[in-house]
Amino acid sequence: MLDQFEILTTSGVVLWSKTYVPVNANVVNSLINDVFIEERIQAGTKTGEDAHAARNTPFKKDKYTLKWSTAKDVGLIFVAVYQSILHLSWVDNLLDVVRALFIKEFGKDLRKSTTTTKVDYSGFNQTFDALVAKLDKSSGEAIARQSEPESTSTGELTPPSSSAGTEDGLDQPPLPPVPGFKKAPQKPLYNDTASTDATPIATPDTSRPNSPAVNHLLTAKTGPGGKGSRRARKAQLTSSAPVSSGDESPARNTRSQAKKVATKAKRRWDIDGTAIEGDEDSTLDYSSHDIRDGGDAEASQIEDIRAEDMGSRTAKGAFVLKDLDDEVDAILAESKAKQTGGASIEPAKSSGIVGSGFGAVSGYFRNIVGGKTLTKEDLVKPLKAMEDHLVEKNVAREAAVRLCESAERDLIGLKTSNFTSIDTTLRASMSRALTHMLTPTSSLDLLRSIQRTTTDPSSPRPYTISIVGVNGVGKSTSLGKLAFFLLQNNLRVLVCAADTFRSGAVEQLRVHVRNLSELARRENRGTIELYEKGYGKDAAVLARDAVAFARTRDAATGKLNFDVVLVDTAGRRHNDTRLMSSLTKFGQLVQPDKIFMVGEALVGSDSVAQARNFSAQFVDAAGKGRGLDGFVISKCDTVGDMVGTLVSMVHATGIPIVFLGVGQHYADLRGLNVGWAVDKLMK
Amino acid sequence: MVDWTTAQDWLAWSFSPSISAILLTLFLSLALPLSIHAYLYRQRASSVTPSFLLLGPTGAGKTSLQTLFERGNATPTHTSQSPATVTCALPRDVTAASSKYRSTNDPSAKTERKLHLIDTPGHGKLRHHAFSALTAPALSGLIFVVDSAALSSANGLTEAATYLHDLLLALQKRHTSAKTSKGPKTLNVLVAANKQDLFTALPAQLVRKNLEREITKVRDTRAKGLLDSGVGGDEDEEEREWLGEGGEGAFEFRQMEECGVEVQVVGGNVRAEGDEAPHVQNWWAWVAENM
Ligand SMILES: Nc1nc2c(ncn2[C@@H]2O[C@H](COP(=O)(O)OP(=O)(O)OP(=O)(O)O)[C@@H](O)[C@H]2O)c(=O)[nH]1
Ligand SMILES: [Mg+2]
Repeated sequence: MLDQFEILTTSGVVLWSKTYVPVNANVVNSLINDVFIEERIQAGTKTGEDAHAARNTPFKKDKYTLKWSTAKDVGLIFVAVYQSILHLSWVDNLLDVVRALFIKEFGKDLRKSTTTTKVDYSGFNQTFDALVAKLDKSSGEAIARQSEPESTSTGELTPPSSSAGTEDGLDQPPLPPVPGFKKAPQKPLYNDTASTDATPIATPDTSRPNSPAVNHLLTAKTGPGGKGSRRARKAQLTSSAPVSSGDESPARNTRSQAKKVATKAKRRWDIDGTAIEGDEDSTLDYSSHDIRDGGDAEASQIEDIRAEDMGSRTAKGAFVLKDLDDEVDAILAESKAKQTGGASIEPAKSSGIVGSGFGAVSGYFRNIVGGKTLTKEDLVKPLKAMEDHLVEKNVAREAAVRLCESAERDLIGLKTSNFTSIDTTLRASMSRALTHMLTPTSSLDLLRSIQRTTTDPSSPRPYTISIVGVNGVGKSTSLGKLAFFLLQNNLRVLVCAADTFRSGAVEQLRVHVRNLSELARRENRGTIELYEKGYGKDAAVLARDAVAFARTRDAATGKLNFDVVLVDTAGRRHNDTRLMSSLTKFGQLVQPDKIFMVGEALVGSDSVAQARNFSAQFVDAAGKGRGLDGFVISKCDTVGDMVGTLVSMVHATGIPIVFLGVGQHYADLRGLNVGWAVDKLMK
Repeated sequence: MVDWTTAQDWLAWSFSPSISAILLTLFLSLALPLSIHAYLYRQRASSVTPSFLLLGPTGAGKTSLQTLFERGNATPTHTSQSPATVTCALPRDVTAASSKYRSTNDPSAKTERKLHLIDTPGHGKLRHHAFSALTAPALSGLIFVVDSAALSSANGLTEAATYLHDLLLALQKRHTSAKTSKGPKTLNVLVAANKQDLFTALPAQLVRKNLEREITKVRDTRAKGLLDSGVGGDEDEEEREWLGEGGEGAFEFRQMEECGVEVQVVGGNVRAEGDEAPHVQNWWAWVAENM
């Protein structure tokens, strides 16, 4: 069963929610953080269209699985939370249907800019309960069906499938006693009712046109496939949709189905505790009278709301529910068709030569003057141009495409403001996308972190920074610059030569250290020393020893001898698996406070693959681990405006850029100014 | 010259001592000022709804506060991704500063005073929304919401202080750059020490002290930190601006008054346990004072 279902706005307000078992707010918050803000897990959307729930990767947090769906135009997010041990395949359908119905019911209020949260959405409770009852039974009822083979002819939303039933059935026992589970014991009772009280229950159905032939068709088509596995059942779900949508009124109910629906209606009321006190033999007509006249405050209020929303429709509970059924089926059919059919159902616009000619002229005019509502077609060309522009700036094609997609999502359906062309609007949107991507979640204040670690009241220790990267990108130079910066702040630095591989590496560092210590002595700021043990030693062990050495305290004062340990590592090709995997050991053994990867800004380097492979080394198979902490991009002074590498690296890994190398001198290290980078890229 | 003669006729008529001419002039002289007044009053009243901006680190309670101010009770919330503007009405028991001198019989005192409340996301990646909202029209004040309980942890304090530092620096820059043209109007900041209902919450006084101390540290490491890439290589250090009196000594919120920013720290809580009422009167009072 579901634990929670929430409808919230992008501004963070929960408009409507249904809680079966309380779930910590952090669970949904981390979905928002990881999926929507940090975009660590990519949304399945390709275009401006809203993703169907099934297309979005489910998000897992703690013991929960979260499925979600969005409605961009009204800024809503729909989230369903349930325990990961359950496999609730119907949740996707629920999300799609709830989205469609909620927007249909409240869309007008939602589009008003400022009153969104003030509207009373409690009227949606009824609809939602009905939906859950309807969709959930696909899994619950399968058990009942097994024992009564004759009832399998009901052309339900989920086609009868014994094996799927067992699977879902097996999943349910370990489940804690959540409210929804109480349904189970009541089920046989209702099935009885359905068979004995057939005639009275079917009354509301008489007005409905139905043909047994359709039913046969449906069963015939769905029957054989249903015997297969879960996958087959899924395939069937999709295949059943076109069948019903091919019909004039989609998903026409058969008589027997209507029976089912009627019982469902009854069950729903019962669970809500609104009506029907145990009198199971009474007809539905009677009970619905009960609901209307019985003085149950909640029930009558509900009916008021329904009546208001549905306008001319009857206020009879059962009837509304049945309407809903049709609607649900239609929505599901549509969403399935979209999912499978893809482009084929895209509305083919044909408005005649005159119309299109006029459209083109006025469109052109609007493009200059503004006030044009952007469509996908309008954006194709400018987006392509923008993509090429970004690639020219040395942004990897992959990253450029993703940026353009997010800009497209941002813009479709938007009205350009007065005297603003599409291009200008697009540029603004792209700047936003770039800013969003390059801005780190929390800015790194290296000096503060160092200060905190070394003056920790309980266990002061030196702060360890490792530098990794491929050969020749400027690891040692960047390390030198970093050391200079630390020395300027009067820190005592130990440089560890853990590149025991490439000849000359230790000597190179020794030169750096000598220069720097000379500088430090002259300015009387900080000290720097080299820790080296020659070549051939295991780098990880060496680095660990260096950290241990730095931990030693001054015998006289009892203070730490060093504040910071900078570890230089051997450069390695990112596709050299043997050397790369030794990094993992390095990370575990040395436990650095920060691991920075150096990459170069030069055109044509395969920065994306490098960044991916390196960051993968510090993350275990389960996706846990520290990961890289940031990038140092070297040689930024040599590329002018073509600083696209910055974007490519962040795009590939989501890891922020912390430093830029901008020259040959020790002082040529800079923090990243996002506005500066965006300006250069958009120039 | 038909027009000319008719105009002359009209003129002649209007100066003639006929009763209709007198009545018309009388009517005009009475109605004109009235209608002009009505027109101007409408114009003004609709355009000057004051706005207040909600800022602060993530999870501080901005969105909760917004919903509370809007409809009287806080709804459940999650991390915000986009800014949102709502219109609230000042509760009747607080009087706006601008209507302090209105007579109690003034009919406009009976109508609710409206204000816009702009909520912004507090996530590190999304703070640009807040900074761009600083230019919102008719901005009357900033409400910087902090989680008083989170401030007792080092990370929570640093995060809040860094954000507040950047905000105050932006306000200071705005002040210095506006000096040349017209005197910028003052923009006050309320540091709303939220979540006072929690056992671990620091009292407002301590919130103030801790923030001031931490901002001093943030300013120091900023001064020592690397230049960022936006600064050209040959530019001198003088270009950078420091918060407060030249960036020397300990920072105090009082120093901000120099650039027309008065910072107040006031405690309160949006949510309350059981059937206790949320405690936001003091914040309302501040809002009223700055309207
Ligand atoms: N105990 C207590 N909890 C509060 C109080 N105010 C807000 N909260 C809780 O704090 C959490 C975060 O509140 P939000 O309003 O969403 O925070 P926010 O500042 O909008 O955060 P972002 O949108 O991420 O920037 C919610 O779970 C609130 O219930 C309070 O006064 N006391
Ligand atoms: Mg919020």
